[in-house]
Amino acid sequence: MTKLSEGAIEALSNGTGGNDAVLQCVNIRKIDGGNGPARFRVMMSDGRHTLSSFMLSTQLNIMAEENRLAPNCICVLKKHVTNMLKDGRRIVIILEIDVIKPAEDVAGKIGEPTPYTEGKVVASTLLISTVIVHFSVAVVGKAPSAVPNTPGGTSKVVPIASLNPYQSKWTIRARVTNKSTIRTWSNSRGDGKLFSMEVVDESGEIRVTGFNQEVDKFYTLIEVGKVYYISKCSLKIANKQYTSVKNDYEMTFSGESTVIPCDDSCDVPMVQCDFVSISDLENRDKDAIIDVIGVCKSVEEVTRITTKSNREVTKRTLSLMDMSGKVVTVTLWGEEAEKFDGSGQPIVAIKGAKLSDFGGRSLSASFNSTLMINPDIPEAYKLRGWYDKEGHAMDGQSLTELKGGSGGGNTNWKALSDVKTEHLGHGDKADYYTCIATIVYLRKENCLYQACPSQDCNKKVVDQQNGMYRCEKCDKEFPNFKYRLILSANIADYGDNQWVTCFQESAEAILGQNAAYLGQLKDSNETAFDEIFQQANFNTFVFRNRVKLETYNDESRIKATVMDVKPVDHKDYSKRLIMNIRKLAAQ
Amino acid sequence: MAGVVDVPKPRINCSMLLQHISRPVCFVGRVEKVHPTGKTFTVSDGEGKIATVELNEPLEEELSGIVEVIGIVSTKGVIMASMYNMLREDKGILFDLDLYNEALKVIHDFPQHYPFQVASSG
Repeated sequence: MTKLSEGAIEALSNGTGGNDAVLQCVNIRKIDGGNGPARFRVMMSDGRHTLSSFMLSTQLNIMAEENRLAPNCICVLKKHVTNMLKDGRRIVIILEIDVIKPAEDVAGKIGEPTPYTEGKVVASTLLISTVIVHFSVAVVGKAPSAVPNTPGGTSKVVPIASLNPYQSKWTIRARVTNKSTIRTWSNSRGDGKLFSMEVVDESGEIRVTGFNQEVDKFYTLIEVGKVYYISKCSLKIANKQYTSVKNDYEMTFSGESTVIPCDDSCDVPMVQCDFVSISDLENRDKDAIIDVIGVCKSVEEVTRITTKSNREVTKRTLSLMDMSGKVVTVTLWGEEAEKFDGSGQPIVAIKGAKLSDFGGRSLSASFNSTLMINPDIPEAYKLRGWYDKEGHAMDGQSLTELKGGSGGGNTNWKALSDVKTEHLGHGDKADYYTCIATIVYLRKENCLYQACPSQDCNKKVVDQQNGMYRCEKCDKEFPNFKYRLILSANIADYGDNQWVTCFQESAEAILGQNAAYLGQLKDSNETAFDEIFQQANFNTFVFRNRVKLETYNDESRIKATVMDVKPVDHKDYSKRLIMNIRKLAAQ
Repeated sequence: MAGVVDVPKPRINCSMLLQHISRPVCFVGRVEKVHPTGKTFTVSDGEGKIATVELNEPLEEELSGIVEVIGIVSTKGVIMASMYNMLREDKGILFDLDLYNEALKVIHDFPQHYPFQVASSG
């Protein structure tokens, strides 16, 4: 009787040998390979032990199919490779095997072999799944690397980049980089809720959405930053409108999807962000989804506003600056806004922020975005280093024009000569800037006009010459009117001058009198009227101006309007001047 | 000391005192301690350093807050004041001594851009 190589099973299982071992085939089982070819799992005996973790490499499938390799036959294991499972056990892939005695010629099982066990007993399906991953490697003959364990799944771990709608049995091992809040909706078809997340692995990233029941199943289980095995979601073409994730596909959790935490996560990358420099935001289209990182220079208080749909939401704005020296305003909403702590100028990174053209350019953290404070990524450390050395002293130039505040580092300070050299106002949109300038001329002729006395209507009324004044907009006649100011002024600084138009509020601030009183003086006391203009002349203010190129009948001209006038804050001005001097000196 | 009035007086702080010995200067600082005789007092500048001011006649009023002293620097670094000016804290904007010190440094770092002497004598 042919002698079996006793101890070979042990050696194979430990990875210490087994070449040319003479083994008896105890059992062969065919495993459906799903999308791939069938696999045969073999139980071999060396007379002392049996081991069921043998897999026939696919090129040898024919041996099993033709029954050459059948239970009881004796064979010599000529070539094999072993794969190490995560839990320490081995699978032996049979690459070449010679049947030295066919099954018919063997009476039965040789000896009383007992199953060789080492470590935990794992479901057989596990073995198959892990081996299937490596069959391609085994065929080539290379020693494969550690196989990630796929507990409970019958699919192999595939890279995210390989996911497509035509394969349903797969598992990915990925880290969650972004998890949205739960969003509910209610429309004619019913109610629902959803959440979405983005996951990343070595090969790429993909967006995953869960609806209704899946929200309940997975939302609390999934934590940003942790790695999970995810399987059996349905793939479809990605709707790029909602995400900045680079993948042609996106997927949805189905009733069959599974999410299982993974402990071995060191080789799955942390987060994939494609940060855009703040200065570059001007070149991006509005509504684009952007990843951005910067230092939170300042943060405002939380405010409550009522949306168009009459919902009350809380929001908070913060200003973000990066190494380009530009600053942008970021708006946070809801819980994120309330929880945000901007003290200590933290590094803030946002994945999937929405770029808007509000105030020029600004960012909003939508429900899809993920906000990271002081993230553990190299860009954050670079920013911190830069900010501590130079960034903290920089004023930063804001891409966002805020209504009213000129405090903090958000104002766009310009000298009047800059308006011409930088061609402000020449673009599609109006440009806003702040400057310190002195009034050098005020045009007192035609600075007042008669306006409709109605509350919100400022339209010029037509004098009907019968004591009545007609407003075309309101389509009514009135026995009275209100005086309103349109003041044309020339302001100047050390480098240049600029003609500007001031409307009611800014004009009244400059002249120091209200429109009604001025109107009265003009009619009654011209000397006093002139005196007011004399007094107002040569005063210096902080002007916030809007400039735009306007075309009238083939002629283009820059029109400047004063949005706001404020007295000069000398401390602020001095600080800025000193900073600019030092900056210039350093160049 | 009428000669002090018409002459350009550079603004200085304590670290610049010794470079201006026997010259008329303008020193702005916060009053620290007044000597019981009222003829001398100490002032601190924006950097926190202390200088001593000596007067011709004893003080006739309570001196406190920020004061601007005009005088000549003695060989010992004491400011022999010919006049002083108290910047009242209850009126106007509060004087920022740190910012003033920063401005002083700029003026002294770039004398070519701040030719006060030329302007005065012209």
